[in-house]
Amino acid sequence: MSTLSSHRGRLLLAAILAAVAVAVAVTATAAALAGGPARPGFPALRPAVAPAGWPRATLPGGAAVLAFPPTLQRVISDADAVSAARLGPGGSYQLYLNATPRQGAENLAHWAAFRLRLLRSDDAASARLLTAAGGIRFRGGTGSCVIDSYITRIGGHHFTEIACLVRGRTSASVIVAAAPTARWALARPLLLRAVAAYQVR
Amino acid sequence: MSFTFPRSAAGLALLTALAAGCGTAAAAHSPAAAPAMHHSATPDPALPSPSPAMTPHHHHHHHHAHPAAVAPAPPPPPPAAPTMNPIPQGNGGDQDADNNGGPSDGDGSI
Repeated sequence: MSTLSSHRGRLLLAAILAAVAVAVAVTATAAALAGGPARPGFPALRPAVAPAGWPRATLPGGAAVLAFPPTLQRVISDADAVSAARLGPGGSYQLYLNATPRQGAENLAHWAAFRLRLLRSDDAASARLLTAAGGIRFRGGTGSCVIDSYITRIGGHHFTEIACLVRGRTSASVIVAAAPTARWALARPLLLRAVAAYQVR
Repeated sequence: MSFTFPRSAAGLALLTALAAGCGTAAAAHSPAAAPAMHHSATPDPALPSPSPAMTPHHHHHHHHAHPAAVAPAPPPPPPAAPTMNPIPQGNGGDQDADNNGGPSDGDGSI
């Protein structure tokens, strides 16, 4: 009697194991097909051609094309990068877009951690992850994105950004879209549109 | 001793917890190796530059002279400690946004 009961218990456990394994596999597959498991709060990003009239800036190496709203203008950037910004009174940054070829050890799997680490070691006195997602489709490629906020070492300015590492067929690059944290909610739709229009090769 | 349902339930709970852990281990883990530092930039005089208001502070890489030990002849000064970022801050480097208190660009800082 006891042996029979134990045998049934093991069968039940095996059945539950199998069911859980199948559920995990189905969930992972569905998430991958849907463009990656977005974390709570991560906005929908669907690749789309930039609106007519948006200027375009191509990375010097030709790896990507950054489209930006006409209310922004090109600003100084690293030699191999392109940037556009809307500057407020006194020259403060109101909107900021930047595209840069992949340069370091960044990769899609660890992008969020890399970006936060870079911010903290380079420009930011502090940086905080808000949300992140992988497997995001871009025009010509796939990317991982992180939304974070940070405070600059110089001036103590608060910025919120979405930064994506995007891999195309032949190259990888980074697009950053940022605004002062106080203006993020207002700026976000326009910045996300620029990110969605980012084209990689 | 029979195999009871509570034991099965405990097994299920453990499996569920393991599955949830696997599902959420995503991008924010495993920090990448610390990148080496480099920057190359060529400011384009035709492009607007950000406000001087963004440029007031120097904050990186302050190296203080070490007091000399009591000795007849002071030893030569020690070599400067390596810096994390070779770009002078406070608009002293390539003049892009993140060297002036502006938003950070997308460089890998290698």
